[in-house]
Amino acid sequence: MARSKLRYSRAPMARRALLKGAAAFAAVAPLPLRRALGAEGEVVYATWGGSWAEAMRKAWFGPFTEKTGIKVRTIDGPDYGKIRAMVKASNTEWDIAEVNPDFQWIGPRESLLEKLDFSVIPTDQLVKGENLLTDYSLPEAFWSRVMAYNTKKFSKENHPKNFAEFWDTARFPGKRVMYSKANGGVLEAALLADGVAAEKLYPLDVGRALKRLDKIKDDVLWYETNAQAVQFLQDERGVLGLVADGRVKFIKEKGAPVEIEYAQSQLTWTSYVVIKGAPNKANAMKLLAFMTSVDGQKAIGMEYTYGLVAPKAYDLLPPGRAEMLSNGPQQQGKTVLMNEKWWGENLEKTQEKLDAWRLS
Amino acid sequence: MPSATGTGAADDSGASAKHHGDPDRRRLARRGLLGAPALVFVAVFLLYPLALLVETGFHAKTGEWSLVQYMRIATTPVYSLILWKTAWVAGAVTLIDLIVGYPFAVALSRARGRWRLVLLAAVLMPFWTNLLVRTYGWIVVLHPNGLLNALLMGSGIVAEPLELVQNTIGVLIGMTQIMLPFMVLPIAAQIDRMDRRLLQAARSLGASASRTFVHVYFPLTLPGVFAGSLITLVLSFGFFVIPALLGGRRDVLIAQLIDFNLTKVLNWEFAAALGTILLVVTMGLFLAAQRWLGLRSLWMEAR
Repeated sequence: MARSKLRYSRAPMARRALLKGAAAFAAVAPLPLRRALGAEGEVVYATWGGSWAEAMRKAWFGPFTEKTGIKVRTIDGPDYGKIRAMVKASNTEWDIAEVNPDFQWIGPRESLLEKLDFSVIPTDQLVKGENLLTDYSLPEAFWSRVMAYNTKKFSKENHPKNFAEFWDTARFPGKRVMYSKANGGVLEAALLADGVAAEKLYPLDVGRALKRLDKIKDDVLWYETNAQAVQFLQDERGVLGLVADGRVKFIKEKGAPVEIEYAQSQLTWTSYVVIKGAPNKANAMKLLAFMTSVDGQKAIGMEYTYGLVAPKAYDLLPPGRAEMLSNGPQQQGKTVLMNEKWWGENLEKTQEKLDAWRLS
Repeated sequence: MPSATGTGAADDSGASAKHHGDPDRRRLARRGLLGAPALVFVAVFLLYPLALLVETGFHAKTGEWSLVQYMRIATTPVYSLILWKTAWVAGAVTLIDLIVGYPFAVALSRARGRWRLVLLAAVLMPFWTNLLVRTYGWIVVLHPNGLLNALLMGSGIVAEPLELVQNTIGVLIGMTQIMLPFMVLPIAAQIDRMDRRLLQAARSLGASASRTFVHVYFPLTLPGVFAGSLITLVLSFGFFVIPALLGGRRDVLIAQLIDFNLTKVLNWEFAAALGTILLVVTMGLFLAAQRWLGLRSLWMEAR
């Protein structure tokens, strides 16, 4: 941790001086040249990268730069630890980071975030829901953890259609693929299997959930990364799973024998935050407004399969497209919303209990 | 090392001693100067961060000095369980590596020419592959429909596929392979340094081959055995990727816990306390080895 502190405190100084010089020159240059030099500035965006970053570039960053002249530079890996190291060293290099929603509460608690400027960012078009919007964060996209099943073992008619059936190892034998972190839906699934109503899940009764987990403890393949989950399903070691929907769709397209059951799918989302001391704070607010607008949402809906945060944008999609997205019409009425605020406050304690259970 | 620099320094100290006074002191000063960059490097990039780490662990989340992190580790049973499991895995890996690595080191030191290269490449291969690729490679080999099970079932040794991965067996296999060079190389180096005349003496005095091995050969390799075991043990405490990818429900090791606290819940104080415990265990092992196994003399005499 101290090493990363050093890393963040040295190199950027020279670069910053250079940028300042460039900016000074750009200020006196004629307008077209200024555009070309990026004199309108930039936004640094920390993303999970991969095909998602590619989609964002097409749908958002390119058009945004065209409209405003502000360039968007992406950095891979919006790690919470890096954010804390930067802020603690008073050397913030990122403006926007995409994070899991628990960071909406962890971030402000650690004084790592800037308040968002809602005079620049309209919110009327956004989907309404508890915890989706805070002083420090905006919803970015919806996704969900869904039941996936192997189509060679189970049929469209005869496969688990709720978590009680997912737990039924006599009727549906084989390994279940589940995430090893406490906030990866496994405890919610256990409580739903135990008969707790979806709206009464929180605060989670962790003891009761673990007791239910006991019943299938030898039938679970635990994954630490999504890549691992996908591998378990692809090589058919796991015949059932509670896995991110985008990953299941991806391997299904590639020919893996998997199908999705949307019943009791666990809906969650990702959030935008602006890091404390962000060097391009004003530009960051403009980009956030651009991305969460109805048009911005329609554009990303054409490029990727995450759920949209502006409901009106679904109406602008061509026929058939909406059904391909997370939280689209195919999923309506079947979702259980994760209480990410509860997780932001209880992850540490709950993980401790889950680890104790794993070792018992 | 002492002899090489010693003669070099003695040569030119004779030529210019009169300008600089006592040659011994000058030699010392020059050696100090030569070592200075390394010392500064170690101080800035190792000692300072380690001091910061230890200090962080003695703070509460709110910032004031406190033992609360250590109290939590001491009073929550799950942490002793995880520490115990980590020590158990590290110990098992060391033992297996010793059993596999010792004969290998003997073979390596006996092999000549092309065979020596082949054996050396076999043990060093894991160093040259990416850790993730290598770990996924193990999954391909070990999983129920994998190569090894196909081989075992095809030859009729087992009827049902063995569960070799997503459990502690998988973790042990993966870690044992990666740590093997750290065991083999010190032992092989020790064998190469061995005074062969002692073996001849034992045989000429009438000792059988096995008696010579037990009373002469093996004791002479012990410094290599201790050094290899210590390095393997210490490095095995900090494994992260392999238990995460090859392990199962019961394979929660301390490195995973530290990562979780650093990157998921931002409890750096608690992560630092866990890291400090690892540090203390490691230092304790080194000191014990130095005190009772004479590792110090091994390092001084090496090369």
